[in-house]
This record gives sequence, structure tokens and C-alpha cells, in this order.
Amino acid sequence: MKRVLAYLLPVMLLIAIWWSTVILFEIPHFILPAPDRVAAVLFDRFILISAHATTTALEIVCGLFLGSILGFTVACLIGDSKRLQSITIPALVISQALPVFAIAPILMLWLGYGFASKLAMTSLIVFFPVTASTLAGFRALPESWDTTFQTLRPRRVKLFFYVRLPLAVPYTLSGVRVAASVAPIGAIVGEWVGSSSGLGYLMLQANARGQTDLMFAALVVLCAEALMIWSVSNRISLRFDQKYSANV
Amino acid sequence: MTKAIDEVQVKETVLSIDQLTLEFPGQAPLATISWTVHLGQQVALLGKSGSGKSTLLTRIIRGSSSIQCQTQRIAYLSQQPALLPWVSVLDNILLGFTLRGETIVSKHLERAHQLLIDVDLCGFQDQKTKYLSGGEKSRVALARALIEDADLLLLDEPFAALDRSTKIHMTQLCNTLFANKTVILVTHDPRDALSWLDTAMVLTSHGLRGPFDLADFQDDHALIQALDGDL
Repeated sequence: MKRVLAYLLPVMLLIAIWWSTVILFEIPHFILPAPDRVAAVLFDRFILISAHATTTALEIVCGLFLGSILGFTVACLIGDSKRLQSITIPALVISQALPVFAIAPILMLWLGYGFASKLAMTSLIVFFPVTASTLAGFRALPESWDTTFQTLRPRRVKLFFYVRLPLAVPYTLSGVRVAASVAPIGAIVGEWVGSSSGLGYLMLQANARGQTDLMFAALVVLCAEALMIWSVSNRISLRFDQKYSANV
Repeated sequence: MTKAIDEVQVKETVLSIDQLTLEFPGQAPLATISWTVHLGQQVALLGKSGSGKSTLLTRIIRGSSSIQCQTQRIAYLSQQPALLPWVSVLDNILLGFTLRGETIVSKHLERAHQLLIDVDLCGFQDQKTKYLSGGEKSRVALARALIEDADLLLLDEPFAALDRSTKIHMTQLCNTLFANKTVILVTHDPRDALSWLDTAMVLTSHGLRGPFDLADFQDDHALIQALDGDL
């Protein structure tokens, strides 16, 4: 009960501030619709919104999954070699330094206006935090642990898969938690640049037609989706954190 | 006395260090040392914090052109037991075999179970190490070091984080289990080693001094003098 309240209380507070702002300053509904109008749109146009929400959710979840797998794999491939890291990391940093908006049109050109370009955008955003966190996990092995394992005369591959990789897992999952909170950016930006469905597309259409309440309804659903995806990834990562953390 | 020295001299050399410079990366050298350790020798290595004691052990393990180690079978115990929390006590003890890709056969399992009895952890074999106390973890690490049947045991203050009574228990175990092994124990506190070691070497900025009689360092004044390099 306490946990539910902990989640609900900030949401209720936000709605209260929103609602009172609309009433106190008499803001017209086409600038800032009151929460009841947004709720009404959510109810009336449930089928339309849920269809677009499904598209966006799929893009976020698949992008998060693919980006995490790619990020983890790249980190595993370069994690054991400082030379490979020095070659690869600058390229990874450049990929993050470029704004998503700048890459989006190129991805549209290459991959089309469908699901693939949004998947690529989301994966690209997710990729770097997961790679960086996993690499940090490889570097975090305490020196005394490393020295101890060296005296066991291990095979390099065995040491990597049996010790270093599991010890890096909590770091990877911490990266996935960060990535889960930014993954919706990739999907939405992709939909804004070019798409025929998704919450980003719905928001653009609603904005063009002056349907501010529908735009807000899409935004509320997007927030709910983002929160759900983040809390699921948080739960999964906390389970593995306890299992593989070296600080126990 | 002369006879005792002669006996040591005819013993096989396990470790020979010639003009090794100890230094932390990017800092001025701490000391340059030469040292010969013979088979069966058990010695406490004393020194101030930051004098390079742990660095010396790490250099021995990682190798250097100034170090001639006659064996690859080295066991190392540090303050951190370095146990994998997701596998059982038994699997942690047998970790060396797993990491070398060796098949674990019944004689290894028998030896592991015997070591569990020796370190008073009988019945703990299937427990995950994350549920063990600090003293229990240290004993698992001790068993893992012993199953390797190493020729040279390097101990870097392995019991420093333990309470006094657990520390006494651990030193008693070491006294029994490390008999006839070649041991270098790094410690700040000579009391940790008194019950099972006789001799001490002191690492100072002037180099490695000794051997000293460890019992002499029960007196704090003598210990401080030695650590300052004035003995």
C-alpha cells in the first residue's frame, strides 16, 4: 500500500498543480487543457490512442532490447583489450555526440518510414549507456581479486566468462536502467521525422489540427509507457544486482 | 646458530629478487630491494602503510625481470577473500580447476571436503558465499589457496578486517595448515604473526632490512624504530 502511495502521490500532486493552474489563470483549453478534458479524450478515443501507443511501445521495447544486446556484445568484444577500446571508444563517443535529430533523416533515407528506422533510432540511443556501463564493470574488478585469480593460472576465456562477465552484469543492468529512461526519445524523434503511426505521429497530427487535448492525452500515455518500461527493467536489474554484485 | 644458518643456505631457493625497484605509477621510487626466500621459509614482512609491501607481492605474482621465481604455483590471500557470490562454497574452493579448464575428479572433491573440515566449515559446501560471515569467507579463501597445493604462499594482511577472536582462530589454522610451506605474510601488526612465525623482514625507504626476530617487535618502541629504518 505504501509503495502504491509513493507512486501515486507525486502523480496526484502534479495533476493538482496542473488543474489549479488552468483554473486560477483561466488558461484556454487549446493552450493547456484541464486534466478532465484529457481524461475524457483518453476515454473517448481509447482505441485510436491505444493503437498508436502499441506501435510506440513496441519500438521502445524492441529498441531497448536490441540496443542492450548490441551494447553488451560490443563491450564484451572490446572489454578484454585496451587497444581495441582505444580504437572503438572514440567512434562510440562520436555516435553519441551527434544529435538524434541530425541522424534521423539519414536513417529514414536508409531504412524507410516504417518500424526499422525507429528501431534503429532507439537502439542507437540505448547502445552507448549499455556499452559504457559494461566496460566500467570490466574495469571495476578490484585489483586484489584480479591478483588472486591470476595465481589460479586461469585460461583467459574461462576467466572472462566465469568471473569477469558475471561481475560486470550489475553494471550492464545499471546502463539498461539509464537507457530505459531515454529510449522513448529515439522512438518519438523517429516518429516525428517520418512515420504513419505511433504516439509521436499522433501528437504531430493533433498539433496540426489544434487538438491540444489529444496531444496531451498522447503525452500522458507516453509517460505511462516510459514509466512502466523503466520500472520493469529496474526490477529485473535489481534481481541480478543482488546475485552478481561483488560487494557482498 | 652457525649450523642453523648453514641449513637455510643449503635449502632450495624459491624466490630470488635482485635490485627490484618498488614504485607506484607516476610517483618517485619507494625502495630498491634484493631478497632470497628459501623453500620452507616463513617470514612476516613488516612496513609502514604505503611502503610497498603489497606492491612487492603483486610484482612477485605478475613477474618482473628482477624477480626469479622457481615456481608457478603461488597462492595469494588478501584482505578481500575474492569469492564469487553466485556459486557455492565448494565451487569457490575448486575455482582454480574450473578456470584452468581441468576436469574435477573425485580426488579433488575429497581434498576439498577434507579442507572444509580443516577450516571448520564442514556442512557449508552447498551454501552461497554471500551468506557467510567475514571469518567464514576468509576460511573459504584459505581452503581455496590450500587446494592449489602452492609452493609459495603470499598473504597480504588476509585477516586485517576480522575481529580479534576470529583473527586468533585464523592464525591458529594457518599455524597448522601452512606447516612446511613457504610463506610471506604482509602485516602491520606483528601480533598477527607471532603465534606462527619467528622471523620478520622490514621494508623501509632504505630497502629491505632483516631478518629480525619477530618476538622483538612486541615492544612498540622497537617496532617503530624498525619501521623507520633505524634498527
